[in-house]
Amino acid sequence: MSTAIETRELSKRYRQVSALTDCTVTVPEGRISALIGPNGAGKTTLLRMLAGLASPTGGTAFVLGGTPRQDPAFLAQIGFLAQEIPLYRRFTAEDHIRIGAHMNLRWDASLVRTRLAGLRVPLDQRVGTMSGGQRAQVALALTLAKRPRLLLLDEPVAALDPLARQNFLATLTSAVADADGRLTVLLSSHLVVDLERVSDHVILLAGSRVQLCGDIGTLLAEHKVLVGPRQDAVLIERTHKVVQTVAAGRQATLLVRLNGPVIDPAYQAETVGFEELVLAYMGADDAPAAPAGQNLTTVGGDS
Amino acid sequence: MTWLVWRQYRAQGAIAFGLLAVFAAAMLVGGSKVASHWHTVFAACSGRSACLQQQPPLVSQAIVDALQLAGLAVPGILGLLWGAPLVAHELESRTSDFAWVQSVTRTRWLTAKTGWLLLAAAACGGAVTALITWWSGPNNAFALNAFLPGQFDIQGIVPVGYAVFAMALGIAAGTLARRTLPAIAVAVGGLIAVRLVITDFARPHYLAAVTTYYKLTTSFTPRGSAWIFFQGGINRTGQVARQGWGDVYPLLPASCQRLIPQGPTPKSASTSTLLSCMQAHGWRGLATYQPAGRYWPFQGIETTIYVLLAAALIALTFVIIRRRDA
Repeated sequence: MSTAIETRELSKRYRQVSALTDCTVTVPEGRISALIGPNGAGKTTLLRMLAGLASPTGGTAFVLGGTPRQDPAFLAQIGFLAQEIPLYRRFTAEDHIRIGAHMNLRWDASLVRTRLAGLRVPLDQRVGTMSGGQRAQVALALTLAKRPRLLLLDEPVAALDPLARQNFLATLTSAVADADGRLTVLLSSHLVVDLERVSDHVILLAGSRVQLCGDIGTLLAEHKVLVGPRQDAVLIERTHKVVQTVAAGRQATLLVRLNGPVIDPAYQAETVGFEELVLAYMGADDAPAAPAGQNLTTVGGDS
Repeated sequence: MTWLVWRQYRAQGAIAFGLLAVFAAAMLVGGSKVASHWHTVFAACSGRSACLQQQPPLVSQAIVDALQLAGLAVPGILGLLWGAPLVAHELESRTSDFAWVQSVTRTRWLTAKTGWLLLAAAACGGAVTALITWWSGPNNAFALNAFLPGQFDIQGIVPVGYAVFAMALGIAAGTLARRTLPAIAVAVGGLIAVRLVITDFARPHYLAAVTTYYKLTTSFTPRGSAWIFFQGGINRTGQVARQGWGDVYPLLPASCQRLIPQGPTPKSASTSTLLSCMQAHGWRGLATYQPAGRYWPFQGIETTIYVLLAAALIALTFVIIRRRDA
């Protein structure tokens, strides 16, 4: 499996504040990867550095085999959609299509028109008077018109209602399917349920550090919720990485990353849900990230 | 890229063009009237300068004031209203995040936008100054004051330099401040400060002023619209006195002092006697001025200064846009 994005200890500091610290992640090619994290975790910073809009203060990033830079050849391969859905409010969708045609060598104008016609988004209406969902669809269609190899989407669905969100994600998944493995998407959001539906790879940021990075299926298989007597929790901690401990009376519920089978008969192992897993790691943001593993970054500690 | 600039600025461009057309119409109508009036006056006086000098002013001061205001403000306003938002508004409305991820480098994007806008500023400044210069032709010939600040600043080619500089200042301020309103405030302050400093402190010294000595008994007036800095008398020991008896009196020998009557101004008969007396004691007339022939060199020098300042500001803008995180 080839990688679309690879970063090594990528960091960004703004004066005293560290926006992203030692971020080492990989994003597989041809899939939709989810970038999850609470507000201020560094998602936007990471995406902007990958798009070449911001430059790192430390570490390196390889995007489609090269360093992000201000260069027409690099920019032509990247589709970036910022959180605010930046469009010229007084221009129509058609104006934007023409602007794109003037600013890109590869530009599929008919793709935008077909897509927007299918969604019944008027081409001759000012973008500023459209609904948030329509505006997001216009922006996404314009981003796809470049026929990019990598889409970097920064919380594009955050402000949309559930139906508009669903339509947006449907457009996205169909675009990936149409591209036949040539389109990679990195999509940030804090709407975990949406992300689980469309993506199969996850990067979790919290407290400016990577908490988790890997294939969702693999990660879910590696984590278990263990329920058992509180006093035996110490024994579990010896072999397994405890991500989160919730104690109630004499009973403890542990979310662990397994390091071999659970032998203790007093503990019952249950499968863990994606949302549960994400929330557990988000709560563990004050602990430093362990060094990156093969394709996985893990974190130990409890809350 | 050019199309994007056209699409973004066509509305403002149309408004500016409309205003320019109205201004041009007014100037052409008014200018023809002034010109025909000038011809009548000139014919009535048969071209004698003594007669011309006794005529009332060719145009009313109110019109001159209004034109001066327009000539000074128009290039500045244009530059600030179009220049300050050029980068700042894109950053404010985040549309830079759209423009800068298309397959065009920020450098090319900025080149297209600043290039066309500077050109537009130069064109507007050029159109306004061309009209004012044409309109002022008869008045210049009549009043011989083309070098005066207020006349010099609104005619010839300097307004083009001001317009280009104001545009560049607006663009650079907007890039630095990242917001339109503070950028306009900074640019207005900067424009006024630079204009004042250059007008008051630099302009008189573009070329070394000419100093002429002449006989006191003959009058001396530099030819044409010269810019006179100083006119007075100088005695044998090199003491200089401005025109005006109060300044001259203490420096005069007693024999000449006696010739000054007690009244506030000496009668003309005694003036010539007094001047002869001064001349006999070694006094000469002294005038320091910029000759009328330096009008266009001065216009060229001042325009060059403003264009170079504009170039420096634009270069700074490019460096910031390329280096700074978007």
